[in-house]
Amino acid sequence: MAVQSHARDAQNLLRSRLCNPSFVFKALSGSPDSNYSKLKFILSSSVTEACNNSLLLLGPRGSGKTAVLELVLNDLLEEYPDMISVIRLNGLLHNDDNCAFKEISRQLCMEHHLLFSKMASFDDNSQFLIAMLRECGLAHKTIVFVLEEFDLFAQGKQRLLYSLLDAMQSITSQAAVIGISCRLDADQLLEKRVRSRFSHRKLLFLPPSTEIIERLLQHILLLPMDSTLPNDYATQFNTKLESVLADERFKEILKNYLSSSSTINHLLRFLFVAVSSIDVKSGYPSLDNFKTALSSFRRQPKQECIKDCSILELYILTCIRRLESKEQKSYNFNSVMKEYKSIHDQFQTSDDYARNVCLRAFERLLQRDLICFSDNRGQGQSVEFRPVKCLISHFELQEGIKAYRSCPIILTKLLDR
Amino acid sequence: MPSLAVSRSAEEPLTPQKRRLRSNSTAAPETPIYAPTKRKSPRRCLDSTPSSHPNFSTRNDSIEPISNSSKSPAEELSDDFSEILNWNPRDASQISAVKEALHVSTAPPTIVCREEEQRRVFDFCRACVEKEQSGSLYVCGCPGTGKSLSMEKVSNKLIEWARDGGFDPPEVLSINCTALTSSSQIFGKIVENGYVKVKGTGAPLQHLQNLYSQKQQSSSSKMLLIIADELDYLITKDRAVLHDLFMLTTLPFSRCILIGIANAIDLADRFLPKLQSVNCKPLVVTYRAYSKDQILRILQERLMVLPHVVFHPQALELCARKVAAASGDMRKALSVCRSAVEVLEAEVRDSRNNMDSDTQENSVVKIDHMAAALSKAFRTPVIDTIQSLPQHQQIILCSAVKFFRGGKKDTIVGELNKSYVETCKSRMIPPVGISEFLSMCRVLNDQGLVKLGQSRGDDKLKRVTLTVDEADINFALQGVRFFRTCLQ
Repeated sequence: MAVQSHARDAQNLLRSRLCNPSFVFKALSGSPDSNYSKLKFILSSSVTEACNNSLLLLGPRGSGKTAVLELVLNDLLEEYPDMISVIRLNGLLHNDDNCAFKEISRQLCMEHHLLFSKMASFDDNSQFLIAMLRECGLAHKTIVFVLEEFDLFAQGKQRLLYSLLDAMQSITSQAAVIGISCRLDADQLLEKRVRSRFSHRKLLFLPPSTEIIERLLQHILLLPMDSTLPNDYATQFNTKLESVLADERFKEILKNYLSSSSTINHLLRFLFVAVSSIDVKSGYPSLDNFKTALSSFRRQPKQECIKDCSILELYILTCIRRLESKEQKSYNFNSVMKEYKSIHDQFQTSDDYARNVCLRAFERLLQRDLICFSDNRGQGQSVEFRPVKCLISHFELQEGIKAYRSCPIILTKLLDR
Repeated sequence: MPSLAVSRSAEEPLTPQKRRLRSNSTAAPETPIYAPTKRKSPRRCLDSTPSSHPNFSTRNDSIEPISNSSKSPAEELSDDFSEILNWNPRDASQISAVKEALHVSTAPPTIVCREEEQRRVFDFCRACVEKEQSGSLYVCGCPGTGKSLSMEKVSNKLIEWARDGGFDPPEVLSINCTALTSSSQIFGKIVENGYVKVKGTGAPLQHLQNLYSQKQQSSSSKMLLIIADELDYLITKDRAVLHDLFMLTTLPFSRCILIGIANAIDLADRFLPKLQSVNCKPLVVTYRAYSKDQILRILQERLMVLPHVVFHPQALELCARKVAAASGDMRKALSVCRSAVEVLEAEVRDSRNNMDSDTQENSVVKIDHMAAALSKAFRTPVIDTIQSLPQHQQIILCSAVKFFRGGKKDTIVGELNKSYVETCKSRMIPPVGISEFLSMCRVLNDQGLVKLGQSRGDDKLKRVTLTVDEADINFALQGVRFFRTCLQ
C-alpha cells in the first residue's frame, strides 16, 4: 500500500519535472561551452558594457531555444534587477508592422506604468519607441527585444526589423535584439539593408550528444533525497532506475527512438510516456516501461487497420494494388470486380463471393478510409461507377498481410507478383 | 606625427607660423584622446571610473624617443610592441573600451576615406546656398558604405560654413522614409515641422507647389535642406510621390535642396525619367564599396584612440581582405573585429581557469582569433545542422539527392517515400512508417532544408523540393561511410 502511494507521488514528481522546461534545461547550463553560457555572456555584456547586440537563435522546433533564453533572462533579472526590460513579440501574432509597433508600445507602457492609448497611430507609436529608447539609454536600462518566429517578420517590407536594428546603431539607445527561428537561412531572408545592420551572430541549437543525454536522464529521472518521499523508497527507486539506464537494451531502445528525431522535446515526450506507464503495484521502473513507450510512438495506424479487415476486404485491396501495378491509373468498383473474377478463374479459390457482398465490403473499406473517392464530382452516381484511389501503400499492405492472423497464402503470392 | 615631432625639436627659434604648427601638432593627438570621454557621457559603463585610462598621458611621451632614434622599421615595430604592450585582456574595463571603439554606433569625429564624396556634396550644397537656388542630389551605394554618416557631417559643416560666411544657415530636415506610413506623408512632414509656413489646410503637396511657384513676399525664409534616407520606400506603383518630390526643386521659386539616399544606382534613371526632359536630373554621387586599404585605414583610425596595441596588424589585414572581397561593408568589418576580441577574451578566460600564469603571448588579437571570428561570421549553419541531424532524416536527404539526380527537380511525398524505403532496405535498416516520414519531412521543411508544398487532400500528394545544395549534403555526410556509399 505504502509503496503504491509512494509510486504515485514519484510519478507525479517526475511528470511535473518533465513538463517544466526551466528545470530540464538547467542541467545543460553548467558547461562553459553550452549555448546557455554563450547567450548569458553576450546579454550580460550588453547590459553592463552598454553595447548594443543582435543575435539569432537557430535550431529545429523543440530544441530548447525559448527555454534557454527564458532561463538566461530570469538569471539576468535576478542579477541586475531594474536594469532590464523585456519586450516579447511573436511573428505569428505581430506580423503586421502596425500591430507590432502597437504591441511594443503597449508592453513598454505596462513596464513603466504609463497609460497606453489604443487610438495611437503608427507614427505616434514609433515616436514613442524612439523616445523610450533614448530615455532608457540615459537611465542605463537595457531593453531586450525577443522576436520569436523571426522568419515571419522578414516577410513584407521588414519595417519593424529595420527600425529596431537602426535604433541599435545610434549611440543613445541601449538595446539588444534576439531573434528565434527554426529556419537555418533566416538571415538570408532579410533585405540587404537590414542584413547589413544585423550583427550576424548566430547560436545554433544542435541535438544533444550522447553524454549530454545521459546527464539529462540522470538529472530528470533520479529522485531527490530531500523530497517528501521516504529515503529508502527513493534510494531503491534510484538504484533500479540506474540499472535500467545502464542496460544495453535500454540504450538500443533509446538509439532507435532518437534515430527519427533527436530534439530534447522529443526525448521528454518519450520519458513522459515511460514514466506514466510505471506499474504502481510494483512501484519501481523497469525496462518494459520504455519498451511500451517506444511501441506507442511507433504505431502505424493504417497497418493496424488491416488487422481488423475481413478476408474479402483484403482480397479487394489486393486487387486494387494489382490494378495499380498494371499501370491502370483510375479504377472503380467494376474494374475491381473484373480483377477479382479473373483471380478466381485463375486460381480456383474458395473465397468467391457474390457481387452484392463484395459491394458491401467495398463500402466498408470506404468508410474506414483505406480507399477513397478520387474526386468529389459525380456524387449522384452510384458507388460502383465512381473512381477510387488507394490510401495505403504497397509496403504497408504487405506488412499488414504478413502480420494477419490467418491469411490465405494466395494473397501474399498475389501481392508479390 | 613622427615628422612633426622631429621638426618641432629641430626648429627651436619659433616664428609665429611655427608656433601655430606646434599647437596644431599637439592638437592632433589630443582630439582622439578627448573624444572617447566625450562620447562616453550618454552612457556609463558599470565599472569604469574617470581614472580608468591612466595610460593616455604616457603614450605621447613614449612615442617621441622611439621616433627620434634611427632604427629599422622591424625593430621599431617590436619596440612598439614591447613598450606599449601593456594591454591586459583580463581587465574588463579595457576590453569594454576596445569594444566600444569598435562599435558601429560610435561615430568617429572625422570620417576617413570619404573625403572626395563629401567634398562633392558639400560643394554642391554650398553653391546652392550661395546662389539661393534649389537643387537635387542623389547619393547611392551599397549598405554600410557611410552614406548617412557623411550626410550628417556635411550638413553640420554646411551650417558652420554658412554661419562663418555670413549666409543664412539653412534648416536641415532629416527624414527616414521607413518611418512614413504612406509615401505621400513626406510632404506633410516637410510642412508640419514648421520649416515652411503654410496658411490654411489642404493637401501639403499643393501648398508646397503653390508656395514655390510664387515669389516670396518676405525674403527672410530660409533655405531648406532635406535629407531623405532610404528613398526607395517612397516608390509607389505610379511613382508619383518620388517624382513630385524631385519636381519641387525645379519650381521657379523653390528654396529647398534635396539629398536622396538609397541603394540602387539607377534609381534616378529608372524612376525619374521626366526630370531629364526638364533638364533637372539630380546629381549622382556614388559611394563605392570599401576596398581593402580603406577598411584597414578606417579600422586603424578607430583603434588609434586606444592607448594600447590591441590587434596584430596581420589580423586587421586579414579581416580587411576578407570583408572587402565579400561585400565591402564596414559594419561587417567592425562586427568581425568585435567578435575576434570576444574570441580572445574567451581564450584568456579558459586559460585563466586552466593555469594561473600570466602569459604575454595572449595579449593581442592574432590571426587565429581573427580567422575564427571570420569563419563564424561567414559560415552558414547548414553543414553543421546536416551533420547533426538524426539518422533517418539524413537518409531522407540522401534519397532525395539520389532521386533528383536524374534531372527532375521536384516530386511528391509518396514517391520520395518509396525512394526512402528502397534506400533503407538496401542498407538493412527498418524504415519508419508513413506518418512518421511525413512528420520528418515537416521538420526538414521548418528548418529550410526541403520545401513542402500545399495539398488539399492527401498529405502524400504534397510537392517536395530540395532547397539545400547537393554539394553541401555531399560535403556534410562524406565522413560517414554509410552515406558515402549511399550517395554514389
